[in-house]
Amino acid sequence: MSISWDILKSPELEERACRCLIEPGLEVYVLVKKGYRKKYAIFSTRFGSIDSRFQVEGSDQVIDVPDGVAHFLEHKLFEDEQGDVMERFAALGASPNAFTTFTHTTYLFSGTENFPDCLELLLDFVQEPYFTRETVQKEQGIIGQEIRMYQDHPQWRVFFNLLEALYALHPVRKDITGSLESIARITPELLYDCYRTFYHPSNMALFVVGDVDPRQVGEQVAANLARRNYRPLGEIRRFYPEEPPAVNRTRVSQEMVVSQPILHLGFKDAEAAGLTGEELLRRELAMDLLLSIIFAPSEPLYQELYEEGLIDDRFDAGYEAENTYAFTLIGGETRDPELLYQRLMEAIHRQRRRGIPQETFERHRRQHLGEYIRRFNSLEFIANNYLAYRFRGADFFAVPALLKQLKREEVESLLNSQLQEEQHALSLVLPRPG
Amino acid sequence: MLQQSVTYQLADGMRLVFIPTDKFKTVSLALFLHLELRADLATRAALLSAVLERGSRRYPDSLTLRRELEQLYGAELSTDIHKKGERHLISCTLEMVHSRFVGEGEELFRRGVSILGGIIGDPLLEKGSFREEYVAQEKEHLAQEIKGLINDKAQYALERCLSKMCQGERYGVYKLGRLEDLEQITPASLGQFYRELVPRCPIDLYMVGDLDPEKVLRLVEEELRIQRDGLSASLPPTEVRAEVEKVRYYEESMPVQQSKLVLGYRTGTSFDSEDYYPLLMYNGILGGFPHSKLFVNVREKASLAYYVYSRLERLKGLMVIAAGIEAGEYQKALGIIEKQVEAMARGEISPAEMENTRRSLINALRVQEDSPYPLINAHLEGSIGGRIETVDEMVRAIERVTPEEIARVARKVQLDTVYLLRGEEGGEASA
Repeated sequence: MSISWDILKSPELEERACRCLIEPGLEVYVLVKKGYRKKYAIFSTRFGSIDSRFQVEGSDQVIDVPDGVAHFLEHKLFEDEQGDVMERFAALGASPNAFTTFTHTTYLFSGTENFPDCLELLLDFVQEPYFTRETVQKEQGIIGQEIRMYQDHPQWRVFFNLLEALYALHPVRKDITGSLESIARITPELLYDCYRTFYHPSNMALFVVGDVDPRQVGEQVAANLARRNYRPLGEIRRFYPEEPPAVNRTRVSQEMVVSQPILHLGFKDAEAAGLTGEELLRRELAMDLLLSIIFAPSEPLYQELYEEGLIDDRFDAGYEAENTYAFTLIGGETRDPELLYQRLMEAIHRQRRRGIPQETFERHRRQHLGEYIRRFNSLEFIANNYLAYRFRGADFFAVPALLKQLKREEVESLLNSQLQEEQHALSLVLPRPG
Repeated sequence: MLQQSVTYQLADGMRLVFIPTDKFKTVSLALFLHLELRADLATRAALLSAVLERGSRRYPDSLTLRRELEQLYGAELSTDIHKKGERHLISCTLEMVHSRFVGEGEELFRRGVSILGGIIGDPLLEKGSFREEYVAQEKEHLAQEIKGLINDKAQYALERCLSKMCQGERYGVYKLGRLEDLEQITPASLGQFYRELVPRCPIDLYMVGDLDPEKVLRLVEEELRIQRDGLSASLPPTEVRAEVEKVRYYEESMPVQQSKLVLGYRTGTSFDSEDYYPLLMYNGILGGFPHSKLFVNVREKASLAYYVYSRLERLKGLMVIAAGIEAGEYQKALGIIEKQVEAMARGEISPAEMENTRRSLINALRVQEDSPYPLINAHLEGSIGGRIETVDEMVRAIERVTPEEIARVARKVQLDTVYLLRGEEGGEASA
């Protein structure tokens, strides 16, 4: 069995990763981290909460699934005919976990010992589904409690309420966990339908990081997949509703048991929908720079708002972009949401009039570069981000080079086209009276 | 403690712990001021930590300070307040990218140490007082933070349980202090608190990164100038109570979707006791992991909770069990939890539970070495709790624990307080 490897280098980080493609189409990445005891591996599929309508090439059937299926499936893979997967990882001294995002589902373990056995177990349990009526029903109780936990979580609510306000139709507006009603409709058959579509190796990727031998990883994965007799899978088509460029609602609010109001101000970026790969990454970096130039603690706006008690040190601004949606989010806790809202909108206008000085641009660029490098201490950060960007068609290692290429004018032009009045929506969580 | 750490006792009673390693992209610094956890000091300590972060004599306002941090390639600076057993700590941490990765020299590191040195050792004092507007603003922010405990219901329930359980003990003091004490503090009184505290309190400075030990020592002496009396005051040890007269039950209602159940136990075992490792195994088997009794029985078998765990407050000899449940399932969940604790006391531990827990604990210890701040924290807690060991020694101790020792420890574990945050009608989600 011969596997051919590509080498991906990041000179800025003094890191290199190897990549290979294993039949029938699984991308495998290994980044060797000398000196680390921990090994961390993630096995990810391009199946997230927004994939609720899809079709596989060669089939005439379009499948619609209830909200929360990807997350439900994530929970259920931890159980197979032999019982609980958690216990087998524990016997190997490793710690397993999983998470579901809007666009993908990731299974993982971290551990210092027994790496080949742990990797084998990860590959096995993800590739061996076992769903019965009884186990599905049991999980509905557990996930029901997870949903309730998030319903009491003010930061979570203000965020999803904002997405509902920004998006009229796109499924990003729905909770990743689904609702109590939607998960009640999940059946073993439905889970198997999703599984057969999205858990084919050609829709997945594996990333291993730690002090391991890439060749052995490649051979082990190839042997594991070879014995499963996969047939090729046609292309998966995902259908998303035609999302209008305008926001769905300009304002939403909810009352909860909180000490003071929480504000999230969002801007829908309809222009970015459809961008992929390097273009998308470049826009993300430019938007992140723009947002820190306006809202970071090193700028006068933040300091004024902080001194007036309108924000606290958790105030933040960020940009999130996927292939089918993109938005900016600004906010935090505040004593006076109306005043903060007004001040934030004014600040954007003011910045537009003033433009972006070169010195400011350079300072923020420097900060972003350093922060990116610092975070490479974390094996989890490396693997999770590398694959998340890979799934968007982008190379996470390209960040330093792209940052260096970015021009002040490019960020300034986004300042003029983005963060516009008509793209915004406001989400508030307000203290319950009494 | 790591094998490769080097500890220096500095001339003025401070301690420097340097952990040389070239595996990180960063240089990480953390400085800790140790105080006794006490109701009359806690609020001032919390406020002091916040006011110090506002600036030093050299960087007198946040804008100047934050811009200097950006010039250091986005160094991350923060001050914080921690409760470890009955000790209260003010921390100042600074993490910066190692100069090698950004084509810079040693000067970058010096600037970082100098910022941290200024924040702690040379704050912005005018005639002995902190700047009035900084104190006023930080009082307002701290007040909001104290009130904001309610925003995270699980954390709120945990704090409520522990404060009820430890009423009358120093451990019952909330780490951010009390609103009523906040009003009394003035810029002058806070300045006086600082001037009395810093010369005498134990101070630990940690540094982790690829640095030359001699340069580290020299830089610390040059850039970290703290007015000291030359020796550190000794702080009273944490009191570990073993006796429980009678289990106390508390309940509070709130319009929320999920009820939070928290059980507080006294283990009667302190961190420096010979029973500590059996207790660590005990907690692991009971509720420390997804293979533990609580997770398997409350979540996987009974489907009653999404989260359920047990956790040690090892510096105080306490254990808490927490779960998010349906209000109507309170008695059922409590029953299943108590059954698991009883099974532990009867020594019902399978060989698989023993081995899986042993391995999981060893793994958790080993991975600490792969992140700077967990590494620092493990060392710090060891030195506070009087248990200075290398990771290899800890691993060997875990390997030696027997089921009999766990059963002995289990019999000392006593339920003290049960707290329920009950979700009531009206907690339905409405957008």
